[in-house]
Amino acid sequence: MIEIRIHGRGGQGAVIASKVLAVAVFKEGKYVQSFPAFGVERRGAPVMAFTRIDDQPIRIRCQIYEPDHVVVLDPTLLEAVDVTAGLKEGGWILINSEQDPATFDLPARYRVATIDAQSIAIKYKLGPKSAPIVNTAILGAFAKATGIVGLEALAEAVRESVPLKPEENVAATREAYNSVVAS
Amino acid sequence: MTEEIVFKTEADMPYLPMSLGTTLVNKTGSWRYIRPLYVDKTPPCNHDCPAGEDIVGYLALIEEGKYKEGWELIMQENPFPGVCGRVCPHPCESECNRRELGGAIAIHTLERFLADHTASQRPSVQASKRYDAKIAIIGSGPAGLACAYHLALRGYPVTVFEALPVVGGMMRVGIPEYRLPREVLEREIADIEALGVEIETNMRLGDNFKLSDLEDYQAIFIAVGLQKSRKLNVPGEDAEGVIPGLELLKRVNLGEEVQVGPSVAVIGGGNTAVDAARSALRLGSDVREPRSNEVTILYRRSREEMPAIAGEIEEALAEGVKIRYLSAPIELLTENGWVMGLKCVKMELGEPDESGRRRPMPIAGSEYALKADTVIPAIGQEADTSFLETGEQRLIEVRRGHIFIDAAGATTRPGIFAGGDVATPFGTVAHAVGSGKRAALAIDKYLRGEELSGFPPIDEAVHAVPKDMDPAIVRFDDLNPAYFEEIERTEQPQRPIEERVSGFEYFGWAQYGEVNLGFNEEEAQAEAERCFNCGTCNLCDTCLIFCPDVAIARLVAPPYPVPLARLNGAGYEVNYDYCKGCGVCAEECPRYAISIEKEIKWKK
Amino acid sequence: MEKVIMGNHAVSYGAKLARAQVIAAYPITPQTQIVEMLSEFWAEGLLDAKFIKVESEHSAMAACIGASSAGARAFTATSGHGLALMHEMLHWAAGARLPIVMANVNRAMGPGWSIWTEQTDSLAQRDTGWLQFYCESNQEVLDSVIQAFKIAEQVLLPTMLVLDAFVLSHTQEPVDIPDQELVDRYLPPYDARYKLDPGDPHAFGAMVAPPHYMELRYKIQKAMEEAVEVARQADGEFREIFGRSYGLVEKYRLEDAEVVLVASATITSTARVVVDELREEGYKVGLLKVRMFRPFPTKDVREALAGARKVAVIDRNISFGHGGIFAEEIKSALYNGSHRPPIFGFIIGLGGRDVTPASIRGIAEYTFEHDTPEMEIIWREVKNS
Repeated sequence: MIEIRIHGRGGQGAVIASKVLAVAVFKEGKYVQSFPAFGVERRGAPVMAFTRIDDQPIRIRCQIYEPDHVVVLDPTLLEAVDVTAGLKEGGWILINSEQDPATFDLPARYRVATIDAQSIAIKYKLGPKSAPIVNTAILGAFAKATGIVGLEALAEAVRESVPLKPEENVAATREAYNSVVAS
Repeated sequence: MTEEIVFKTEADMPYLPMSLGTTLVNKTGSWRYIRPLYVDKTPPCNHDCPAGEDIVGYLALIEEGKYKEGWELIMQENPFPGVCGRVCPHPCESECNRRELGGAIAIHTLERFLADHTASQRPSVQASKRYDAKIAIIGSGPAGLACAYHLALRGYPVTVFEALPVVGGMMRVGIPEYRLPREVLEREIADIEALGVEIETNMRLGDNFKLSDLEDYQAIFIAVGLQKSRKLNVPGEDAEGVIPGLELLKRVNLGEEVQVGPSVAVIGGGNTAVDAARSALRLGSDVREPRSNEVTILYRRSREEMPAIAGEIEEALAEGVKIRYLSAPIELLTENGWVMGLKCVKMELGEPDESGRRRPMPIAGSEYALKADTVIPAIGQEADTSFLETGEQRLIEVRRGHIFIDAAGATTRPGIFAGGDVATPFGTVAHAVGSGKRAALAIDKYLRGEELSGFPPIDEAVHAVPKDMDPAIVRFDDLNPAYFEEIERTEQPQRPIEERVSGFEYFGWAQYGEVNLGFNEEEAQAEAERCFNCGTCNLCDTCLIFCPDVAIARLVAPPYPVPLARLNGAGYEVNYDYCKGCGVCAEECPRYAISIEKEIKWKK
Repeated sequence: MEKVIMGNHAVSYGAKLARAQVIAAYPITPQTQIVEMLSEFWAEGLLDAKFIKVESEHSAMAACIGASSAGARAFTATSGHGLALMHEMLHWAAGARLPIVMANVNRAMGPGWSIWTEQTDSLAQRDTGWLQFYCESNQEVLDSVIQAFKIAEQVLLPTMLVLDAFVLSHTQEPVDIPDQELVDRYLPPYDARYKLDPGDPHAFGAMVAPPHYMELRYKIQKAMEEAVEVARQADGEFREIFGRSYGLVEKYRLEDAEVVLVASATITSTARVVVDELREEGYKVGLLKVRMFRPFPTKDVREALAGARKVAVIDRNISFGHGGIFAEEIKSALYNGSHRPPIFGFIIGLGGRDVTPASIRGIAEYTFEHDTPEMEIIWREVKNS
C-alpha cells in the first residue's frame, strides 16, 4: 500500500487533489481511498488530505500517520507544520516552489522535488491571481517524480474531476509533469 | 350511535392505528355552529376609486396576461383609462394594503399600461338597445363625456355641446401635454364618438344657445366645469404680464404663442399652479439654454398642506422650479402698466380652518419684494353660472356658487341633471367621470319613469356594472401576512430632465415630451403580481389544502374563467356534511375572501 | 459502473436508484451532501421525486410520514442533533407502520460541540421501532439503501442506515453503481396496503384506548422479529442479482478463534487488517461484524460466538451509567444462551477520535492478556494521569 499525505491551505484544493489522484490511480486498475483530514476546513488555515493506493481492496479506515510521500501545496507550510512527520525513509517531498530542491533544508533520507505550480496555475488562469489553485499542476509533477500514476490517467482524472476549466487544468498538469525538478 | 368495536384477538386488528370503516359515516358537519362562506370583500383601492373601477379585478387580469380584458373591465366604468392612468392623483393608492410591505401598488401606472397596451384595439362593447329619447350634454369635459358614454352604451342618442373649438374640456386645455399627450385623449374620445355620440363644438351655453333652446331633448346634463379663475384681490392685478394659470395652460394647449418673462412668479399650491409653473419653465427654455428663466411658486402654507399631487411637486422641483412656502403676495408692483414684481408677506400657520388645514396668518413686518415680470395667479377656479337665465335661476338652484344636485345628480328642475366641478368641485378627472356616470344612470332611470333612488352619497363612487361584493373594506390586519413578502414597488421610468424642459425643440412648439414613460410588459407583470388581491378569491387553494376534513372542493379548473377576480364564491364548494366549522380556511385565507357566518341550529 | 465517490454520495445514488418519490430533509453537517446531490439529480431531471424543503428535522420526518401515509416511497437523511430533534416523529413513523428509509451520518452529540463520528446519536433511538443497519464501506452504504426499502416495505417498519461521519461520509473510494434496470428488478414499486385517500377516507393515527394499544405494540414487535428473516432473505436476493451481500452479522476468521472482536461500522474494516496481522503472528483471533442492530440478530450472534473463549466488544458510543451499547446488547443476547464467555466492553474513538490499527491491536492484546475484564467498562486511549 502506498499512502500519500497532501498539505495545503484551506481553499488551495488539497482535498480535490487527493481525490483526483485517487481517481487517476483507480483508472489504472488499482484500489484507492481518499479523504480530507476529518473535520472542519477554514480558508487559509493549514489542511491535510490523504490518498491510499493498493493492489488489494483497502480496508484500513483511519487517517495516515506514516505516509510514503507528501505533497506540499504551499511552501510557507514548511515553516508552519512538520510536513515530514512520520514520513517513511526514501519518501518524496514534492513542494510547490520556484526554488531548486537543494535550497530546502530537509533531512537527506528524503527525496525532494519542486515545481513552480504557482506560475503554471497563474499562466492557465486557475483560480484568482492572488490565490491560484495549484492542485492540478502539482499532481502532474507528483506523477512524474514518483511514477505512481501515468500522465494520461491523471489528465483524464483531472478533466472529469475539476469543477471549472478542465482543459486549462489538464494543460497545467502536463506542463508541470514536464518541468518538475528533482534533487 | 355506532356500535363500539372490541377485537377479540390481535390478529383481527389492523396493524396500524386506523379505522377499518370509512370515516365518511362520521358527518363532522353536525358539530358545526359556524360556517365558512366565500364572500368577496371590497378592496380599499376599489373603494377609493372615484370612477368606481374594479381595480383588483384588472390587476388580476394583468397578472394573467389578459390585457384587453383588463382594459375592458375599466371601460365598463370609465372611458378614460389612458387619461386617468396619467393624470389621476390616484386616491386608490393611498390606502393600498401593499403600503405595509414595499409600498402601494403603482395602480395608476398599471391602468395606463392597459390603455397603452391596447391602444391599437377598440372596445367590443356596443349598445344593445335603441331609445328615441334624446339627451343634451353641456360640456365635453370628463363629466360630460362620461355621461355621454354611459348613456350611449345604454342606447340613447346623445348630443354634447362644447364651448371651445376643441373637445375634452380641462383634459384638453387644462392639463399640459407633457402630462397627457393629446393623442391619448383623442383616442379615448374617438371611442366615445364611435358609440354614436354627437359633439358640437363652438357652442357656448349662454352665448350661442340657451337652455330654453333644448326643448327637443328629454333630459339635459350640465357639466360646464369651473371657468372663472379666482382673483388675488390685491392691487396691480390687472397689469400687463399677469396671466391666470388656467388661462396660460389653455392658451398653450390651444397652440397660441405665449411669452413669459425671465422671472416668473406663480401664486398658489394646487395642480394648476404646478402645471403653470412647469409650463412656464418650458416656455422659457430652449435647447441651448434650458431653464433660461426662473420660475418660483409662492404658496401661503407649507409643503405639507400643498394640495397638488406630490409626485408632480417632486418633478417640478427636479426640473428647477423653486417654491417659496409660507409666502403670499399683498401687492403686484407695476411700472407703466406692466408688472415688475411682487410685494409679499411671510406667513405662519395658525389653528386649522374649516378645510382642516392650518390657517395661514401674515407675520407683521415680514414684507419683502420679489422681482417678477410674469405673474401667474393660480389660486383656484369658480363656477360661472351666468348662463342661467333670469327665470331659470329660480328653477335650478345654485348653492355657494355651485349648481345644487341630489344623490342622483338631479338639479332642482326635473329632467335637468348636473355634475362635474360645476356641481361637485372635487377637481379631478376621476371624480368627474364618476359624477357623469352617476347622472347617466339617473337619466336612464328618469327616462324610464323610475324612482331616482338607491344612489350612494355624492362623495362615493357609483358602478355602472355592480360588483357583487361585501361592502366591508379589507384592511391590512384582515390579511394573512404569512403568505406575503416585502417586495419593493416598481416605479415607471421618466424622461431625462433636460429633454423635458427643452421639449419643444425636440417635439415642436408647445409639444412637450411626456414626462412619465409608463411600464413595459415585464414591469407591469412584476407590479401586478405584488397585488394581494384583497378580499378577492383568486383560486390559490390555501383553503383547500388546509381544510382538515377535506371538505372543500375546487369547482373551477385552470384555465380560469375571465374575469378571474370576480369568482365570488364560484371557485370552491364546501361540503357542509363534513365542514365542522373550525374556521381554519378563513383563518388561513391569505386575502380575506372567506367569511365566517354563525349558523342557528334549531332543536325540535 | 464503478466510480470513485464519497459515502454521502453513495447514499444519494442509493436513494435515486431506489426511486424515492418524496424527499424531505434539513441540512446538517456531515450529512448535507446527501441531500444536495439528490436535489441536483432532481434538478437535472434524473430523479422523479417531490422535493420538500422544511424548517427542521422534526418537520422533515413529519413530511416523510405524510408522504409515506399517502403511499409514496419517502426518504430523508440526517445526523446527530438533527436525529435527536426527530425523536418524536421516529416513534410516529414506526407506530404508523410507515416504511420510510433514512440515512443517518453518525455524529457525536454536543456539547462539547462536535461534528465528528460517534454512534450514540443513532443508538439512542434504538427503542423507537426503527430497523438499523451500520455500514462499513461506501459500497455497503449504497447497497443498504436499496435493501432498506425492500425490507421496510415488507415488514412495514421504518429503516435507518447508518454511516460514520467523515470516515465514510467524506471518504472517496470506488463504488459500483448498479444499473437501474437491476435495481428495478430487485425493488418493485411500493404498493401501500393502506393509504391516505380522500376518495376512501379512514382515520389514521387516531387515539387507541387501553383495550387495543398493547396489541398494536405487540404487532410491532412481531414485525421486528419477522424483519430478521426478511432482511436475511433480502440480502440473499441482493446477492443473486448484484453478486454482493453483507449478512445480518459477518463472521470474519472466526474458525477456532479464542478471542472474538465484535465491532460495527468502519471500525470493522480496520479491525479486519488487525485480525489478519494477529493471525499471521499466531494469535487465534477473529472478528464478528454486527451490521443489523435492530432488530438485534440474537440467534446469529449466539451462533457466531459459540466457540469464543473471550469476547471483546468495541463500542464507539456510550450509554452513560452503564457502558458501551453493543456490549450490553451482546451480553444480553448471550445470557439466556448455553455459552456465556467473558465479555470485555471497550469504549474508544468517541467524538471522532481516530481508531487506528494500533488501537484495535491494543484491545485484542488486552483481551488475550486477561481472563476476565478488570472492570465493566474498559476505556481505551483516554488521557489518564
